[in-house]
Amino acid sequence: MNLFVLLAIAAAMVLVQFVVTRWVKLNLLAWMGIWWVALWAAFSYGINPPLPNSIIVLFMAIITIALVAYLSADNEELKQAQESIVRFMVTRQYRVALLIVMFLIPAAVAAWTFASMNEAPQPPSSGRTIHPPPPSSITFQGTSINLTTANNPIRELQHTDEAAFAEHVANGRRIYFENCFYCHGDNMEGAGMFAHGYDPLPANFNDATTIAMLQESYLFWRIAKGAPGLPSESTPWSSAMPAWEDFLTEEEIWEVIIFLYEFTGFEPRAQGMPH
Amino acid sequence: MRILLTLLLVYIAYPAVAQQENDLGTEAQRAEGKEVYDIKCAHCHGYEGDASAVATPYLRPTPRDFTSGNYKFRSTASGELPTTEDIKRSIRLGMPYTSMPAWEGILSETEITDLAYYLKTFEPAFDGPYGNPTVVEIPRAPSYSADPDHLARGQEIFAANQCADCHGENGRGNGESAPELMDDWGDPIRAADMTKRWTFRAGATREDIYRTFMTGLNGTPMPSYEQTIDAEDRWALVDYVWSLSRDTPDYGTTVTVQGRSGELVLSEGLFEAAPQVYFPIVGQITEPGRAFYPGVNGISVKAVYNNSEIAIQLQWHDMTAETDGMNNPLIEMPMFDPAQPDTTMDGWSDAVAILLPSRTPEGLERPYFMFGDSRFPMSIWYTDLATDSAAVLIGQGSGRIADNGIALERSASYEDGVWTVQFKGPRNQGELTMPEATFVPISFTIWDGFNGERGNKRGLSAWYHLYLEPMETQSAVLPMAKWFLIVLGAELLIVGLVNLRARRRKTA
Ligand code: HEC
Ligand code: HEC
Ligand code: HEC
Repeated sequence: MNLFVLLAIAAAMVLVQFVVTRWVKLNLLAWMGIWWVALWAAFSYGINPPLPNSIIVLFMAIITIALVAYLSADNEELKQAQESIVRFMVTRQYRVALLIVMFLIPAAVAAWTFASMNEAPQPPSSGRTIHPPPPSSITFQGTSINLTTANNPIRELQHTDEAAFAEHVANGRRIYFENCFYCHGDNMEGAGMFAHGYDPLPANFNDATTIAMLQESYLFWRIAKGAPGLPSESTPWSSAMPAWEDFLTEEEIWEVIIFLYEFTGFEPRAQGMPH
Repeated sequence: MRILLTLLLVYIAYPAVAQQENDLGTEAQRAEGKEVYDIKCAHCHGYEGDASAVATPYLRPTPRDFTSGNYKFRSTASGELPTTEDIKRSIRLGMPYTSMPAWEGILSETEITDLAYYLKTFEPAFDGPYGNPTVVEIPRAPSYSADPDHLARGQEIFAANQCADCHGENGRGNGESAPELMDDWGDPIRAADMTKRWTFRAGATREDIYRTFMTGLNGTPMPSYEQTIDAEDRWALVDYVWSLSRDTPDYGTTVTVQGRSGELVLSEGLFEAAPQVYFPIVGQITEPGRAFYPGVNGISVKAVYNNSEIAIQLQWHDMTAETDGMNNPLIEMPMFDPAQPDTTMDGWSDAVAILLPSRTPEGLERPYFMFGDSRFPMSIWYTDLATDSAAVLIGQGSGRIADNGIALERSASYEDGVWTVQFKGPRNQGELTMPEATFVPISFTIWDGFNGERGNKRGLSAWYHLYLEPMETQSAVLPMAKWFLIVLGAELLIVGLVNLRARRRKTA
């Protein structure tokens, strides 16, 4: 989002609505033109990273159709609009303006042709599915774990045995700071000392769209199987997330999961709710 | 009345007395500090502040041992303790390119103050006569001057004060004594690379550089020059150091490969006009052989092609060239390499590789970024810099790498702290083709032999792209004229018909 540009466009629209209309009466056609230009400017300059030209053309085509549909829904207005266009084309008084418009439209098309031919080539964009559906079960160090029913065995201790729970949290902290923070960061914000060298970036656990909306069994799958365990729409070959099944035990993975929630203050999504 | 007067006197005198006292905060502030410390800092700096903690063995530089009283960043004279404000600044801004994060925005200003007071409790000297150190005045920086005489003077100072002994003649961290430098805790330490000032621990503004050589960095071999460099020469030295580096690393994502008409002869001149792109290199910490402190942190790349071949030049800064011994991506490594990093370990040479997909990828598919896998193998242009040959290896994962028999042309040279390695290979290799106007995935890996890097212990990059710029770009004039005329024609038709109709109606 380029908030600055969007605000400027909104301000310009307000200006037209409340100030310009005091001197000039704008008919429906003029309003539609103004809206069209404003939306085009918003799509072209208001969005960061910029949309590809082809997408903008698509959006504007849809908007044009919508505006025409709006206009033709009312016979009276359609007629008025038609008449004003015809008047513009046939009245002598408008001759100069007509010639200018007739030159500007093809000139704009030519300029657009130039811009699209000189557009810097874009590498294939990396739209990836961040949270693909997990498999229903995985094989972990030789035993099968059913992910739809698996619960974090340590979670129960939270209310029954606080001392034991605290010990597991401490162990989770050790595991995190031996293995994970280089990427996921000290504060779990995904900005560890090596994060700048990886693409996709390591997950930010403080963000409400990662562990806060996931089940613990989902995390178990991601931590155990890492990037290589992802389906292809999640570009497993680019993610640096290691598969920890070879280096951590089942209990250690549950412990580090507990620590992720304790440190960020989030609650895991309850088991049984759909992903 | 007299009592009142005395009270007034005490009140007036109080601030003067307070200034003599050491700034240690209140009991409550230190207690609050401890609470934050145990949650956010103890796993690196140790619960006792002595840097013995779970993460410490895997970090270099080692997290600061606060019981030593040695602080790198100080506004105080060499050997003295830092001020509270100095400690707060280090916590706020962190130490770039180490594991010490910047806590600004994560911790509040109050928490940072509390922490600073708590850190002071680890070193009793803060509570003694040395606890109130003298601050070295840093004057406001005059504006930067690129005047050649001024910079030449700076260079003279740099040479005359043996900066080059550690930092290298052109500041690339490759001075003669650089390989032997140790810090006060017995760890090897590297002299800063002046051409990458974004990595400076104690800040990279011109005032920061001034302060660094005026105060020195306690606990490191970096001395203080307060007594040796005259006031009028100091800013010349700062500006010379400043002139050696750009502002930011400016990491890129795509190397534009330029077309050349003739034969590609590997030489310096071949790449002269080609645009250079800089990529970050980070440690491999995904598989056994984890490299928590790779010796190289970035690589510069240029490339050119002709109708059948592509040539790629890699350059990186390295303190020393290891051209003896051997290296090999297949050397087996334990999960953690217990060896002390960064000590001369005879036997491991420097090596470098360009990683490409073994076949033209479809869409976003790539080989697994480590060394590929059996589903999608990787083509590895590998050279051990102790040899003078290069080959294409096929990687199907770590430990599953084989020579596929294609030899590559390669040239390599090391000069004043920079390795330059050039590769040349065919544009079409088996199932991988590199036609014009396409993006080809590419990544890099570097083994710094000095740092004991071998096998999977290495510095690596994520996937980036080569883009082969078309040799002939199509002119836009014809398409522009075509569209102009088409639209104009349509307009004339519409306006003409509307006018015709209107005239008819009028006459009718
Ligand atoms: C080499 C860097 C690296 C290390 C080390 C690492 N991760 Fe990751 N991790 C990533 C990256 C990159 C992603 C995001 C891409 C992905 O989803 O695979 C990720 C994603 C995750 C996710 C998925 C979050 C989500 O919203 O789906 C979890 C959970 C996770 N990591 C946990 C861990 C734990 C626990 C450790 C330590 C035992 C760890 N990671 C170590 C790089 C790393
Ligand atoms: C992930 C490990 C890690 C964590 C967590 C961490 N530090 Fe550090 N810290 C380091 C390292 C490594 C250094 C040494 C950097 C160097 O020497 O270049 C350091 C250095 C410092 C220094 C010394 C600066 C100087 O001038 O020498 C201070 C002060 C400091 N840390 C405070 C803190 C505080 C306070 C916290 C908690 C809020 C914290 N650190 C958390 C790793 C860490
Ligand atoms: C005896 C060796 C030695 C000499 C001589 C020396 N330095 Fe350094 N310098 C170092 C080391 C080692 C470091 C890295 C400290 C670290 O990483 O914490 C360093 C770091 C620096 C830094 C970066 C500080 C930072 O914030 O990371 C600057 C700037 C610098 N030196 C300037 C100079 C200048 C200017 C001179 C000469 C006037 C000089 N040095 C002489 C060893 C030396």
